[in-house]
Amino acid sequence: MRMDPTVLQAGFDLLGDGRPETMWLGIGTLLMLIGTFYFLVKGWGVTDKEAREYYAITILVPGIATAAYLSMFFGVGLTEVEVAGRGTLDIYYARYADWLFTTPLLLLDLALLAKVDRATIGTLIGVDALMIVTGLVGALSKTMLARYTWWLVSTIAMIVVLYFLATSLRSAAKKRSADVQSTFNTLTVLTLVLWTAYPILWIIGTEGAGLVPLTVETLGFMVLDVSAKVGFGFILLRSRAVFGDTEAPEPSAGEPAAAD
Amino acid sequence: MPDDPEDDVAVLNLRSVVGIVVSFIVAAVALFALPTIQGQGAGFDTAFWIVSGIELVTALAIVYFVLNLHDEPV
Repeated sequence: MRMDPTVLQAGFDLLGDGRPETMWLGIGTLLMLIGTFYFLVKGWGVTDKEAREYYAITILVPGIATAAYLSMFFGVGLTEVEVAGRGTLDIYYARYADWLFTTPLLLLDLALLAKVDRATIGTLIGVDALMIVTGLVGALSKTMLARYTWWLVSTIAMIVVLYFLATSLRSAAKKRSADVQSTFNTLTVLTLVLWTAYPILWIIGTEGAGLVPLTVETLGFMVLDVSAKVGFGFILLRSRAVFGDTEAPEPSAGEPAAAD
Repeated sequence: MPDDPEDDVAVLNLRSVVGIVVSFIVAAVALFALPTIQGQGAGFDTAFWIVSGIELVTALAIVYFVLNLHDEPV
């Protein structure tokens, strides 16, 4: 649903197609692209077995987000949904497709840090997929009651994922080195805070209660996405925790080199 | 950053590397494919779930390939 043009629109219509949010989508594309290439260059030539796995995952996350933001920027990843009592809503569906791809990989990074077994990884990713798919159903629902109901189901699934991170995975991470524990705790807190913000922004945004305009919502999701993907990767890959037990090429986040 | 050249370098599983690259390309292309799928006669909801399914399946494939990124030593 388009806001009244007299309402302050925090954005700029870069393509001239009546979408001021393209400014944030363009910036999001650029930041994700920079993050992808930064991780690619940083990881070029790495031969450590564990580090290669982290680099592979962490490069792919902003990589696919770049494609998702580009599709939203050009309007390919956008559709309209008729909602009873609310009229026509603009839904950037590529955002959900992006989350379906990236959230399992971000969780895999944390699971590899904690060194949990494959059954635990499967459970975590299964609940995560449920979280995103129920969010997708909510995004396409045509009544506000259905939309809020699916939002609630998705949010409950998210709470289960975050609880799992803060308990089971954290316990497993405690058995690993101080570097791994430090990095795991930092990334878990980051994930808890950022992921909690998503359903809040959704419920107050245009797809929910409509308290904030699409431009502000798009800006908010862009900041959350860049922080949760590029920020997450930056913290992870500058840490010694991604290298095997015998290697310690550079200090972890916030820790002096002498601590090794 | 390059590691110590004297260290043993783990052997990459070529199948996993190819799998990761192909999965990524498929996932990226799928993000732009919805209008094309609709052009084949599918409704929006159908096309949307096809794209979403591709994203999820490619993500799961990448999880599998990353967990099997290196050949096990004989």
